[in-house]
Amino acid sequence: MVHREVWAAHRRECNMVEQKKCVIDAANLVKIYQNGSEELKVLDDVSIQVYDGDFMAVLGPSGSGKSTLMNILGCLDIPTAGEYYLDGLNVLTATENELAEIRNRKIGFIFQKFNLLPRLTALQNVMLPLLYRGMDEGEAGELARGKLTLLGLGERLGHRPNELSGGQQQRVAIARAIVGNPELLLADEPTGNLDSKSSEDAMRIFRELNEQGNTIVIITHDVEVADQVKKLVYIRDGKLYENN
Amino acid sequence: MKLKQLLKLIFTNITQNKVRTFLTTLGVIVGTATIFLVVAIGQGGEAQVNEQYSKLNVGTIIVMPAQRGRVADPLTKKDAELFLASANIAQAFPLLRGNGTINYNNYSASASFMAVEPEFQTSNNLTAELGRNIDEEDENKKNRVAMVGAELANTLTDGNSSEIVGQNISISGRRFEVIGIYNRVGDSGSGQSYDDAAFVPYSVGEKYLLGTRANPTINVQATSLDTVQAAIADIQSSLDENHRAGGADQFRIMDAGSRLAAAQESARSMSMLLLAVAVVVLIVSGIGIMNVMFVTVKERTKEIGTLKAIGAKKQEILNQFLIEAVIISLVGGVIGVIVGFITVPILRYFELAAIASVSGVLLGLIFSVVTGVFFGFYPAWKAADLSPLEALRYE
Ligand SMILES: Nc1ncnc2c1ncn2[C@@H]1O[C@H](COP(=O)(O)OP(=O)(O)O)[C@@H](O)[C@H]1O
Ligand SMILES: [Mg+2]
Repeated sequence: MVHREVWAAHRRECNMVEQKKCVIDAANLVKIYQNGSEELKVLDDVSIQVYDGDFMAVLGPSGSGKSTLMNILGCLDIPTAGEYYLDGLNVLTATENELAEIRNRKIGFIFQKFNLLPRLTALQNVMLPLLYRGMDEGEAGELARGKLTLLGLGERLGHRPNELSGGQQQRVAIARAIVGNPELLLADEPTGNLDSKSSEDAMRIFRELNEQGNTIVIITHDVEVADQVKKLVYIRDGKLYENN
Repeated sequence: MKLKQLLKLIFTNITQNKVRTFLTTLGVIVGTATIFLVVAIGQGGEAQVNEQYSKLNVGTIIVMPAQRGRVADPLTKKDAELFLASANIAQAFPLLRGNGTINYNNYSASASFMAVEPEFQTSNNLTAELGRNIDEEDENKKNRVAMVGAELANTLTDGNSSEIVGQNISISGRRFEVIGIYNRVGDSGSGQSYDDAAFVPYSVGEKYLLGTRANPTINVQATSLDTVQAAIADIQSSLDENHRAGGADQFRIMDAGSRLAAAQESARSMSMLLLAVAVVVLIVSGIGIMNVMFVTVKERTKEIGTLKAIGAKKQEILNQFLIEAVIISLVGGVIGVIVGFITVPILRYFELAAIASVSGVLLGLIFSVVTGVFFGFYPAWKAADLSPLEALRYE
């Protein structure tokens, strides 16, 4: 369970804009990689707010720091400096176990390479986040089956990843990300490994999910993907820009 | 995650990864079977020693010349009589041994012969199966009579052993009348069997067979097990008194109890040696397991990263790998024990004493689980320590 009392200490009221709560509130993020004596500043004073219901893309060329930003926002990595509140929680003071809880309940990840577990079936893969929450197998199976069916994989529940096409694998990954109703969906180049047909499908799914109220941040270097979101920001050499 | 779900996840991983599971299990099987067999062989060896010495009376003390061959100042029948003066000694009789050709009709055999007093027969459980034992009268009158061991009688008569009783045989060219055949006694414990030997009265052997070369040993029986050490002291002082040319130092005094202890000790140290070999085998197979695990942890580190990204706690990942290692090593251990049980009869067929035992099973299982878990879990423990990002990025 989430340690509510402990978290209360980390909590702060998040800014409300037009009656929407602020899911991501990150300020002055810096990430520096130490390469021997050389310092590589991958993120340079990045501030970003994402509000409930947003459908945002971060567009930038390869090596601009997109994945680094997403890993910090997804609580997989910590910044060298800056502040980060996720759904009002101070991520940078959370313990390792609290971070695991945050990743489990608040964030749904979608990776470029899908990152499905190869020995588990599609259904088992989608159930996994719920099982880590301590949910019963029956209930988890029910929810996972529902999401997979919603994404058109009702016939593929028992298939393992290597028995599925890339597009199908990505849909399983999306089902896994949304099955626990997280506050935020984070997708790192979700169409990077897909053909154009599957890319279109994936983007349509994201659009529909957003229409149903999901908050989505997509990281991409693909202008076509960026064209389909409601809000676009640009990243170049570790700096974020509102306009190109 | 609930335990039941965790176990299901582990079961899926084990059964969906047959090659890895097989290789790891193989290491554990080899290790466990080795430990089990080493214990079996060790216990078999000890049992063999005990069995050999069970025929030997632990109150027996043997006095013999310290050097082989001719001795300037040999033991005599007189020494045996003097030993009897000790209150700690119940029985003492001299014994002569020799080797020679024994002839009967057309058959001849090269065999050992012994010159013994009548008490020798009772204290070694030798009784006449046919005919009669050597008695005091034979000894006193120096009757030229002989007893033959059951096996020797067979050899000399080509299987018709009974016909030899009452006939003459020659031992080293001297003629003796066979008065009986002893029962079979098997191995005497000293490595040679009375069943293959011929026996004559002590006085007769001394006079006709060995003459001046007579160099007897004396068999002494202490009054009880507790008086063995006192009896040895008495023997030493008697020898010091009666053998001027060096006293007791010219002789070796051995008691059966110490010999048994020494033999048990050597059987035990053999077991320890085998155990050391087994431990080495286990470590080697453990390193094999670790290698397999390291390879798969490389494969699985990315998975560990994914698991962390979807909310698995470090402890949950550790539990998963630990339980997996325990299951694999337990299954391997049980199979190893079964392999051991199957191998024991094969070893016995090749006349290697081996005894399957509970302690072998336990030791094998304990060692297998300890090495399996240590070597299986350690790489996973390292992987679980990585940050989610490091694990995801792992190449
Ligand atoms: N662990 C690391 N150590 C050193 N440099 C890194 C590390 N991770 C990323 N970088 C560097 O940071 C820069 C940005 O990387 P990344 O965020 O992955 O870019 P993008 O996803 O936009 O292609 C790259 O130049 C990359 O080489
Ligand atoms: Mg990237």
